[in-house]
Amino acid sequence: MERIPCTGCSLLCDDIIVRSDGLFIDEVIGACLKGKERFDQLTSNNRLLNPMIRENGVLEKSSWEDALNKTINIIKNSSNPLLYGFSNVNCEAQLKAIELARKIDGFIDSNSTICQGKVLNMAKDTGITLTTITEVINKADLIVLWGANAAESIPRLLNKVLFSRGKFRMTGREIKTLIIIDPVKIASFNVMGVRDLALQIQPNKDLELIRMLKEECCVADSIPSEGVAGIDNYDLKRLLLHLSEAENGVVIVGQGILQPQSESTIIRELLELIQMINLKQQKGRISFIMMGGHFNMAGFDHIALSTCGKNENLKFKNNELVESNDNIVSKINKEDFDCSIIVGTDPISHLPHNLSQKLASKPIIAIDNRKSATTLIADVVLPTAITGIETGGIVYRLDHVPIELKTILKPPNNLPSDEDLLNQILDKLNKT
Amino acid sequence: MEMILNTVRMVDHDQAREHALGDEKSLEQNLAIGILNPSDFKKLNLTRSLHINLSNKNGQVIVATKEDENIPQGTLLMPVSIWSNQLTNVENDEITYKNIPVNVEATRDPITTYKDLLNSIKNIK
Repeated sequence: MERIPCTGCSLLCDDIIVRSDGLFIDEVIGACLKGKERFDQLTSNNRLLNPMIRENGVLEKSSWEDALNKTINIIKNSSNPLLYGFSNVNCEAQLKAIELARKIDGFIDSNSTICQGKVLNMAKDTGITLTTITEVINKADLIVLWGANAAESIPRLLNKVLFSRGKFRMTGREIKTLIIIDPVKIASFNVMGVRDLALQIQPNKDLELIRMLKEECCVADSIPSEGVAGIDNYDLKRLLLHLSEAENGVVIVGQGILQPQSESTIIRELLELIQMINLKQQKGRISFIMMGGHFNMAGFDHIALSTCGKNENLKFKNNELVESNDNIVSKINKEDFDCSIIVGTDPISHLPHNLSQKLASKPIIAIDNRKSATTLIADVVLPTAITGIETGGIVYRLDHVPIELKTILKPPNNLPSDEDLLNQILDKLNKT
Repeated sequence: MEMILNTVRMVDHDQAREHALGDEKSLEQNLAIGILNPSDFKKLNLTRSLHINLSNKNGQVIVATKEDENIPQGTLLMPVSIWSNQLTNVENDEITYKNIPVNVEATRDPITTYKDLLNSIKNIK
């Protein structure tokens, strides 16, 4: 029996117990649905076990040598490669990927850029007070889920932050107030108690609510009697009271708040609102947690920032980092690339159709441990070990705390880790 | 009928899970769905055997339906997947996954298959 961190999602629960003989996992205790899925991938029919290359339009099994040679050929024939993904690999692989991007004068970015990285970018101007899961467990008396369906996206998050008994919150759930702001009555609404506040906001009205709360922070009693954004006056007063009276509150933001049109304004104004409340606060503060999904989405931000001084959209020329106003979406949209290296992600399943078509119009090298829409249309598929089970490494939890993963099984067919594979590609490039 | 599309990630409709564990059939069953309020279901004269044809300026796709009274009227939820991606768009170099206007109508036509969608991206054999 061994206790290991789970890489099913970005919460990286470190209390999962596995029983293994080093060849197979016999039992997994404590994992949620997402965690169980991660362990089930080991024996899934969709597991990638052999490299594949596309010949005459058909994707076929190949030797490692042929697949790596084709990879090198594609890269050598490219003058403007795109590297994307990296939220499902460890930090060591992310570091190696940046080294590869530098070597081949590529443009590299992670999934974070279309997800939680947006909040960090906005915070460059406004500032942000972040907190950790441990601090929320021990001290929080207010938890706000804004556009975040924690019960389904990060299934054990509420268990940890809401139902746990912390050092300074020994009464646990009884003293923690939960506020959910969402247009849909999501699954997280099911854990609401009598002291909690369920605010079913009208779709795309978050900005109206934020602006009203900002105004109320400046001018008391400015809440309209008819309410705002479908939320009545009484509930709005309760919301403001909770925000301004909390000793240690946390706002957990999800995709819901990131995505509405004119989204940059919403994030910026939410950050400003929290700052205003914190300035007015006499006895406490409100902090943020960004609810990214993939288990190491936060990692790329840290690795890119520490190695290149910026957390996204890294463009290299003559092996040096250069300024670029592009992001991954604009690069694909303008077709400003001539091949792509996709690592540990499935853009064909999460990018709009027209971007997928543009991405697929140029050679794709896909590095992953399972089949996906992206591997099905790729020109070269290179399989790797599953991070967190077949290979260890450092990853960053959703609250930006580094966690060390363990290796508990040997990968089948001696599959390399993502880091090893990227290293092999770099070695081959250096030799040719 | 004009509705607002919100793409979401739900634990029972997670593309990563379906790709990792399922086959094409399970992908279609679990991801090619639109979830809407029962009153909208009635307004569209839908029955369980009918599907919905979704279209907007970005594309078109046919999916199955599911009723859920927790969804606000006028809103359609879809799991983030290759099906919902037919309707999502790019604005100011950002992807919009929420609050996307979409035209919804009942249809007897079959659900758009995974293979059709992949072939529309790249002609694979």
